[in-house]
Amino acid sequence: MNSVHKSAYWFLAPAIILMIIIFGIPIIMALGLSLTDYSLGNPGANFVGLDNYEKIFTRSSYEKMFGATFRYVLVVVPLTVGLGLGAALLINSITRFGDLYKTIYFLPVMATLMAMAIVWQIMLHPSIGEINRFLQSGCEIGWLKNLLTLSFLGFEKMDTWFGRSCEDGMPNWLGDKDYAIWVVCFIGVWQGFGFNMVLYLAGLTSVSRELYMAAEMDGAKSSWERFRLVTWPALGPTTVFVVTISCIKAFQVFDIVEAFWTRGAGPSKTAYVMMYAIFEKGIKQNLIGIGASITIIFLIFVMMITLVQRYLVEKRVHYS
Amino acid sequence: MSGIFLKKINKSFGNTLVLNNVDLEIYEGEFLTLVGPSGCGKSTLLRILAGLESSDSGEVFIGGADMTKVKPADRNLAMVFQSYALYPHLTVSENMLTPLKLRHLSTLERFPLIGPFISREKRNELTERVRKTAKILKLESFLKRKPGQLSGGQRQRAALGRAMVRNPVGFLMDEPLSNLDAALRVHMRSELSELHKALGSTFVYVTHDQAEALTMSNRLAVMMDGNILQLGKPREIYEKPSDIRVAEFIGSPKINIFSCNVIKSNQVEICGFKIQGNFQHFMDKKISIGIRPEHLSLTNDRNCIKGIIKHRENLGSDFFMHVESPNIEKRIILRVSPEEALNLQVDAKFNFNFSQKYALFFNSAGKRVEVFDPNNITNKKIA
Repeated sequence: MNSVHKSAYWFLAPAIILMIIIFGIPIIMALGLSLTDYSLGNPGANFVGLDNYEKIFTRSSYEKMFGATFRYVLVVVPLTVGLGLGAALLINSITRFGDLYKTIYFLPVMATLMAMAIVWQIMLHPSIGEINRFLQSGCEIGWLKNLLTLSFLGFEKMDTWFGRSCEDGMPNWLGDKDYAIWVVCFIGVWQGFGFNMVLYLAGLTSVSRELYMAAEMDGAKSSWERFRLVTWPALGPTTVFVVTISCIKAFQVFDIVEAFWTRGAGPSKTAYVMMYAIFEKGIKQNLIGIGASITIIFLIFVMMITLVQRYLVEKRVHYS
Repeated sequence: MSGIFLKKINKSFGNTLVLNNVDLEIYEGEFLTLVGPSGCGKSTLLRILAGLESSDSGEVFIGGADMTKVKPADRNLAMVFQSYALYPHLTVSENMLTPLKLRHLSTLERFPLIGPFISREKRNELTERVRKTAKILKLESFLKRKPGQLSGGQRQRAALGRAMVRNPVGFLMDEPLSNLDAALRVHMRSELSELHKALGSTFVYVTHDQAEALTMSNRLAVMMDGNILQLGKPREIYEKPSDIRVAEFIGSPKINIFSCNVIKSNQVEICGFKIQGNFQHFMDKKISIGIRPEHLSLTNDRNCIKGIIKHRENLGSDFFMHVESPNIEKRIILRVSPEEALNLQVDAKFNFNFSQKYALFFNSAGKRVEVFDPNNITNKKIA
């Protein structure tokens, strides 16, 4: 019995050693650094206790950080999951051109986001950008303007967003603090949902055709009823996985913010997401201590999501 | 009147014709089996009957009403699938409740939270129906389990329960026993037959297993290449197959086919032996004789057909001898009793014979022909 125990440790050793080196030590180091005011190049550091954390939870710039991060996560996760599922269901239901649509929706996932950011930056330019030019042309076509300003419902010009924009000029998407984070969200959705679509398409292939037939025989007449009875439960494990990785990816948003606003994370720091804060504090300003404490908070969020996922996988959505 | 009538059903997938003008009448309360090799169109025919697949042309009548364009849910037929198709996330009782809920509760009554609240009485009634069905199928102790926690046989019964619970006009079964192990399959055969007797409703059963077809059905339809070759009682199909393909498909091991020459208008020759009969329409044509393995018998008479045993199959109750015989290309299979088999080892030489009345004659097109005077069939051995 004893020898079995010993050999078990030998077999586990490579994995455990790697985990300690790659995860364990860096996390413990980050935890240690987060309690100091260390900066790179300094011979030593002072122990400051929980001061760094206190700053994070009291100062307004960090309030903005949480605001931007949670806005991004709460918008991007539901939308990428929902659009991914919707696109997968649509592609699954058509007999032709499925591969074409798959490619189109998956292209943004493969594209380099930095390069795409430059393209978006040009398109979103307030005066010469395609988007504003396109919107502006809507103001010049009478019936379209009526439709978009809802004036056919009796709204005044200034009551609707489109009407106001036609009067006062189209928004400065990247320079206006009311829009900045939402533009980042939009690009996050555009870039992210193709990946979820692929995961859902894979999940859909495992749904047995006979189950749909059974549902039809049982009286599920509408496709919504069949979706509720067969597809959605069958996609349970996929959904848990998709939501988890979408959350983790959303918490990690960084490159698009860095590409759009090289200094400052958006107008009045409205796009000051967590990863950017870590980068700014820890690398740019060489405040390793505070950077490490943001990292620890970040880790806690990701850890919580993972725990919820594990709970769901084990308790609710695991069928054989 | 809840008979089912399929009229001139045609169906092709791309360029392959799957069903070729199939007509089939299924009587109320009968157990009809569609049997045939894979790819013969039997499952497609069943799905067209269920409404899960649409036919290219033709009509489906259920209980006298034209149901060709009616959705599967409104045909009031229940189906049992090969994979059972139980909803994996629901317990057995929820699985059985599903068809009832979808039929008897309105959309609002099925709505989460408020649904159960406003339809409590209806729901109790439906649960009671599930409980009764579960009792018939001896499923009561499994009602709270999910399909993943059940054995094959229990899943099979749960699928049956889901079909039974709503008292459908007919049960459609698509190879429901093929995922079970051999012993359970034999057991479920008798259970299904008894269930059919107890319920008295129409069963349409699809299988490729001729044993299932012969043991359970009132009538069976042998299908091949999109056609129904023969429709009749199991015994009729076994003893008087109308087509050489039916004769070869039904019966295990396969029927022995000898090709022989018509030498006179009243005589054919098989391995040098002559059979008297009325062959005047077959002069100068090929004719095949089919004899089932159990109708070939061993004999001590050295003038009979000679054979050498090439392979023995021991089935316990019977032995099947695979035999080569001079002048006959194909191997012949004989069924012998274990006592007889004691003396017959591989490479043993022996003689065998058969009685004329068991010989089935097929013309060159494969159709069976009567060559004996029906009033005067003798037990005469051929040699």
